[in-house]
Amino acid sequence: MSNHIKQTFIMSRANLFSLPRRLAISTSMVLSVALVVAVLAGFLAMSKGFEQALEGAGSSDIAVVLGGGTNQEMGSDIPADAIRNLQAMSGDFGVTRDAAGSLIASREIIVTIGFTPEADTLPRTLALRGMDASGPLIRDGVTLSDGRLFRPSAREIVVGARIAADFPGFEIGETVRLGALDWTVVGHFASNGSAFESEIWADLETTRAAFDRQGQVQSLRLRLHDASSLSSLNVQLQNISQTRLLAVSEANLYAAQAGRTADIIQLFGWPLALLMAIGATAGALNTMMSSVADRTVEIATLRALGFSRLSACLATWFEAIALACIGAVLGILASWLGFNGWQASTVGANNASIGFQLSVTGDVMLNAGLLGLAIGALGGAIPAFAATRLPLTAALRASG
Amino acid sequence: MTNTQPYISIRHLQKGYKIGGEAISIFDGLDLDIPNGDFVAIMGPSGSGKSTLLNMLAGIDRPDAGELRIGNSYLNQMGEGARASWRAHNMGIVFQFYNLLPMLNAAENVELPLLLKPLSAKDRRDRVRKVLDLVGLSGRERQYPSMMSGGQQQRVGIARAIVSDPGLLLCDEPTGDLDRKSADDVLQMLRFLNQELGKTIIMVTHDPEAAKYAKRVLHLDKGNFVEEKRAA
Ligand SMILES: Nc1ncnc2c1ncn2[C@@H]1O[C@H](COP(=O)(O)OP(=O)(O)O)[C@@H](O)[C@H]1O
Ligand SMILES: [Mg+2]
Repeated sequence: MSNHIKQTFIMSRANLFSLPRRLAISTSMVLSVALVVAVLAGFLAMSKGFEQALEGAGSSDIAVVLGGGTNQEMGSDIPADAIRNLQAMSGDFGVTRDAAGSLIASREIIVTIGFTPEADTLPRTLALRGMDASGPLIRDGVTLSDGRLFRPSAREIVVGARIAADFPGFEIGETVRLGALDWTVVGHFASNGSAFESEIWADLETTRAAFDRQGQVQSLRLRLHDASSLSSLNVQLQNISQTRLLAVSEANLYAAQAGRTADIIQLFGWPLALLMAIGATAGALNTMMSSVADRTVEIATLRALGFSRLSACLATWFEAIALACIGAVLGILASWLGFNGWQASTVGANNASIGFQLSVTGDVMLNAGLLGLAIGALGGAIPAFAATRLPLTAALRASG
Repeated sequence: MTNTQPYISIRHLQKGYKIGGEAISIFDGLDLDIPNGDFVAIMGPSGSGKSTLLNMLAGIDRPDAGELRIGNSYLNQMGEGARASWRAHNMGIVFQFYNLLPMLNAAENVELPLLLKPLSAKDRRDRVRKVLDLVGLSGRERQYPSMMSGGQQQRVGIARAIVSDPGLLLCDEPTGDLDRKSADDVLQMLRFLNQELGKTIIMVTHDPEAAKYAKRVLHLDKGNFVEEKRAA
């Protein structure tokens, strides 16, 4: 066996030296593999970046109560009496209370607003979140980067960093028309690139009044003692209302949304990449077939000297894999230089756009790279077999 | 192998090809003995099967039927892998068009057969230097085939054929592509290898001048008929 390895090594070395003769077609194989790898890496980086944005948004110490049998804020409705009942309950059911003994809670609604950033641009959908004054405190990892928070009953907004960066007119002190009314930008907040940064926050009552949502509460945010308190909260929620109420951890809420959208991105990305990979495999097959044809005399000569069939096969296969490997590295490099940190946005669970950064992580590179290698391994298999079937006598006869 | 046995023995050998669905027979019951240390020239018209015979002796091609024994090895019974390894250890082959690998220099080309053997790098280097010396190419180790004349390339080819010291040398028109002077050099060298180093040589040639260097000449004609004549 070690003899076969040595022979393969020598054949491969001869292949390597003869590669310049096939520069054009070998380069085309490398580039087509690189393209497939870069495209897949792009989609995976998008999916990964989206996941990271939403995962960053969630804390497991914060509960989000939803009503009406849904597990997302969209379509959730919590009756006012349920909230009153909950606030009236004494005793410890896992929710943190303030110094005065009241639950630390924020009632919230989300309004989606069509927004045209500039004349002649496509309208975008923004999410305006109305919340109680305690709302910003019931979020971990959020910092006020500039200005101040909104005041109760004033038409003031605090704007997430992504929105402030992406759209003109959200500087502090500026007036923005959202819906039918003008709002004043009083602050900017940041949250390490998480999905929060794609929201606009305002006072609950003011928001309700501006958008005719009087009395509505879509979600109730509570700060838990710790992650394990969620179940005692859920037990408590059974008893306070006719409406089905469900508390989910903020982390799960966002992770579930992330999972869905990330799946959709992958669901689109993988078939496209695989389709391209089939084309690239056909190209690789063609390249390697012409490599075998180009090396016919050399292979036959070495075989005549006593080199084995296996070595001719493996050396051809390794050439295919080596070319695919170069393509994969180029593709990964291109996607990393081109996409990593790229700002993108998509429509999130509340039908509003969510900004995120493409993230070319280790497993994005691994998956895309493996697809590239598979192109070489599959495309090179038949030519490798063909290299073992070269009729030696005919090859040597034609050597002049 | 006993002394009474010829080194190479061919018995009732049959070989044919299918061309366009039609079977043509090249050998139909060929018998041939070649003793150890012989230098045989095989002559005959083009298409008479000279290369086919040489390829079967080299284990590159296989007979359809009959027996082909070289030393103790029955090539007709051996599979592809066994014949490849037999080639690596028992014979050297010289081609009409040299068949050097263009991307390797003279020394690397000559080294190829040694890479199939368990030898140290130093042993290989020494052997390569020795045979390049023997064929009159010392100092040209690092030259590439494209920088050499036909005669020089064929001498590299001969060096490669003898570097692992096989007992049998098979040459298919080794001077077919050379001018007279280079051809004579190469033939001198083959004669030296036969007479001084005791190699058994089978050489296919068109050239009656070349055939004169051999100890005997076999004429191959009409498919399976071999006529033997003593060289003058
Ligand atoms: N691989 C092959 N396939 C089909 N026919 C072949 C093949 N090799 C040789 N032949 C035929 O066998 C005959 C003998 O060929 P060859 O041994 O090359 O003759 P020579 O070397 O004496 O000129 C020729 O008719 C040739 O066309
Ligand atoms: Mg011939």
